[in-house]
Amino acid sequence: MAQVETLQVKKRDSRGKRHARRLRREGEVPAILYGHGEASVALSVPASQLDMAVRHGAHLVNLQGDVAEQAIIRELQWDTYSKHILHVDFTRVSQHELVEVVVPIELVGEAPGAREGGVLEHVAHEVTIECPASAIPEKLVVGVNDLHLNQALTLADLKLPQGARLVGNADAVVVQCREPVEVSEEITPEVAEGAEPEMIGRRAEEASDEEEKG
Amino acid sequence: MALMPRRVKHRKSQRGRIKGKATRGNRVVFGDFGLQATQGGWISAATIEAGRIAAQQYLRTEGRLYIRIFPHKPITSIPLETRMGKGKGEPEYWAAVVKPGTVLYEIGGVTEDAARICFQRLAHKMPVRCRLLRRRSH
Repeated sequence: MAQVETLQVKKRDSRGKRHARRLRREGEVPAILYGHGEASVALSVPASQLDMAVRHGAHLVNLQGDVAEQAIIRELQWDTYSKHILHVDFTRVSQHELVEVVVPIELVGEAPGAREGGVLEHVAHEVTIECPASAIPEKLVVGVNDLHLNQALTLADLKLPQGARLVGNADAVVVQCREPVEVSEEITPEVAEGAEPEMIGRRAEEASDEEEKG
Repeated sequence: MALMPRRVKHRKSQRGRIKGKATRGNRVVFGDFGLQATQGGWISAATIEAGRIAAQQYLRTEGRLYIRIFPHKPITSIPLETRMGKGKGEPEYWAAVVKPGTVLYEIGGVTEDAARICFQRLAHKMPVRCRLLRRRSH
């Protein structure tokens, strides 16, 4: 189960991008807390604490300070280079409430199919599950020690923790061992030199006429 | 295989400006590692292909390479020693418009060290500065 991190939050009255940018310069991240039919509360969280929680794969967090509640990290907004968190959404939860969360899938072991000349392809990197808020797993581990060539594991093959339920299509492939595809390393011009794409909404004759004129 | 669109509405396009940073296509989606541009620019179909070959020569049959950009923009040029005027030139090549932050390529199924070496070789071919980007779970 993922660790429950504690975040010291402050209420914020200021709104808008100027104030949000000022907060970020001061080492805080603007946040919002909502859910359970109660009014939403605008908050700010220390960036260092939030970074730590996210790095540890935390979903459930204890909010302390101006607001004392338990919440899950619903959404994170990152900057263009995925370095800094710009904003975070918290949803109120109670300990045993069922929540839908996205959990990463990690592959462990060595597939015999790889020794048989196959290539291991990790297709689904994360999965949506429904589980009690107090028992959100950090990640789901899939063993590939029995995966031979031309075999695949689906979401149905995942071992879910107690009380968890898969959301979505259980037939979706998580990992497969396929034969390597020979990819050309040479430039093979599929189109002739100077070829142009087809024009939408114009007949070939018109296009050729225009070219002659041009 | 030189990339270019199959069908287009217009043969030629205006130059345009590359403003701001990428707000889409700036995350690793398919693989485990991505090559992210930190500068903006045009990347020609030939350059995209050169990058693919450089990466494929290193990867051989291991792992999988994903190309995240496509050359949608026709770039025209006028012949050498031509007098000014007489209209816009003819389409010369196709290019992808890249904003800072765009993920150009992705690799899956290899270790970080292998991905780093592969992207180093690939980045030499690119006309923009690049960095390695890892997949994020949140």
